[in-house]
Amino acid sequence: MKIQSLALRWETFLLLVLAVVLLLGAQASEHFLTASNISIALAGMMPVAIVALPMTLIIVTGEIDISVGSTIGLCASIMGACLERHLPVEFAMASGLAAGALAGLFNGVMVVVFGLPSLVVTIGTLALYRGLAQIILKERGVNSFPDWYQQIGFGTIGDTPIPWSVILFVALFLGFGFFLHLTHGGRAIYAIGNNREAARYSGVSVGRAIVAAFVASGMVCAVAAIVLTAYLASARSDTAIGLELQVITAVVLGGVNIFGGSGTLVGVLIALFVLAFVKNALGLIGMTPEQQDIVTGAVLVGTLIIFGASRNVGEARNWFARLRINRP
Amino acid sequence: MSGPPEPTLHGEGLRAALASAWAPRETKLLAALLAICFLITLREPRFLQASNLEQVALSGTLVCIVALGQALLIVGRQIDLSVGAIVAWSAFVSAFWLSEHPNSSLALVFVIGIAVGTALGAANALLTAGLRIPAIVATLGTLAIYRGGIIVYAGGRQISATILPDKYGAVAQIHILGQSLLIWIALVLTVVLGWLARNTRTGRNVYAIGSNPEGAEFAGVGVRRHVALLFILSGMLCGLTGVLWGARFGTVDAVIAPDLQLQSISAVVVGGVSIFGGSGSVYGAAIGAAIFVVLQNGVQLLGFDQFWIPALLGAAILGTVLLYSRLANRADASAASNRSPRGGKIAS
Repeated sequence: MKIQSLALRWETFLLLVLAVVLLLGAQASEHFLTASNISIALAGMMPVAIVALPMTLIIVTGEIDISVGSTIGLCASIMGACLERHLPVEFAMASGLAAGALAGLFNGVMVVVFGLPSLVVTIGTLALYRGLAQIILKERGVNSFPDWYQQIGFGTIGDTPIPWSVILFVALFLGFGFFLHLTHGGRAIYAIGNNREAARYSGVSVGRAIVAAFVASGMVCAVAAIVLTAYLASARSDTAIGLELQVITAVVLGGVNIFGGSGTLVGVLIALFVLAFVKNALGLIGMTPEQQDIVTGAVLVGTLIIFGASRNVGEARNWFARLRINRP
Repeated sequence: MSGPPEPTLHGEGLRAALASAWAPRETKLLAALLAICFLITLREPRFLQASNLEQVALSGTLVCIVALGQALLIVGRQIDLSVGAIVAWSAFVSAFWLSEHPNSSLALVFVIGIAVGTALGAANALLTAGLRIPAIVATLGTLAIYRGGIIVYAGGRQISATILPDKYGAVAQIHILGQSLLIWIALVLTVVLGWLARNTRTGRNVYAIGSNPEGAEFAGVGVRRHVALLFILSGMLCGLTGVLWGARFGTVDAVIAPDLQLQSISAVVVGGVSIFGGSGSVYGAAIGAAIFVVLQNGVQLLGFDQFWIPALLGAAILGTVLLYSRLANRADASAASNRSPRGGKIAS
């Protein structure tokens, strides 16, 4: 690849942003670049990071899934209900995964079989799944998790500072990355996002691919529910409220076109690092979560503005050129 | 055809008039709303008590005013996820001003609230129309910025009715012809905006942009100017809602209206506005907002657990859009049109 085209890539630009964040963070606090702090920053980001993987697939196909936060809440509630009945944790985790797969399947069927817009369907299931979670657990919190289970959320491997949840994420990232960027099926996902009709005429089974992406999203939400309940050591019906906004922010910041057809998982990975370290650095200098939200939103909007600036300059030049031509 | 022509013609004329009155989606929605009210009343006559109906209408008005702006945005293929945060800004700033200057006139409070909303709407307009960031992404960013900003600005303060002058709360108590002023404001805004959208050049341009942005551009419509106008209008309506919010509830803090973006989009969608833009009406969105509050009230009156409310609302949204798509498919089939059944996503 030519150096020039590499330099113009979104991922390169994001790496610069990440470098700036790391530099500023190191300036702000001496604890920022310590192994234990990085471990904490990454462990806190994992639920969002895990769900961002299937969300990337879904957005690349040109669809969207707003219901991920509620799906996590539903899976967490079902796992909690299993534990309340003194069923084994393994059974609870399996039920959570099954519930997530069903929730994703329902979204996918509504979108593909009934031809409804995914934005509307998942706004509906955002309310529906959260409601089901509330019906199951009401206001109770379940925290009778065994010790080994809680290790998934916070525990580290042996004496190293690497959290178990990060290993889980890396495995999922490699799986999704391999599928999206190195297989025929992954290319089909891009084809669907670029031109659905053309993809269909080229022999891509569009409907099946989209349903599969939604089912993957549901199952990964169940994994995120396991990580999150382990991290919080508690399962509640309001687990992961508003998570969808963080996930979509990460995917969009990662350079995935919100209308589908382009973007890479590498970009999303860098964006997740940027978001995790921005939040962590701001926390270290004593900012409240609300102040962190302002900066996160500003990073998203600012990055889009700066990267779009070159395009806008070109447009302005064209506009002036047109003015000159139109002048009698 | 045999037989006397006069009665047939008369009958057909009547039937045609009935059919054309039945044809708009809004009439069917209104019928659905009345049917829901009827069913709730069958099980629980308390629904029809004046005090209950007024409470339902009052909680509907605030969502309704925001949904009007959201409906026009969605018709023009835009969306605003930051509405709840704008309402919180307007409500807090205007209530804070009033608590500091208890003697200032209420008109000034309204001006301040609406100005705050307009400014935040203009910032959204700058990002979407000016810098061409897709609306769903830009307002996702401003949602975080605005909500975080008001929480930081408010610093955990809560402005309650006890420190506000009585005249502010009295705004929500004013009654004209037996109805609350808030309800009149929502009604007038619905009728005026609905009329403007249907009958003015700017309104028709918004529909044109929503149906085909490129086509509209080539036809000489200033797409970016109209998009900017829609975001500023939505900001103004949110600003007004913020002032009314404080008057209605008395207590204002930075975290009010957390789900307003989803509530307003749901009302718009249930009201029959296509999420792909270009079709639907402001009236539909207003009826959609009404259906939502009636359902919510009905669930409470019928003695369901309050935990059931989100699940039932979600099911209602899914049921409605499913019904719409079936109706649209049938209309397509009967018109023998071969339009593509799937649109794109909301384009910028």
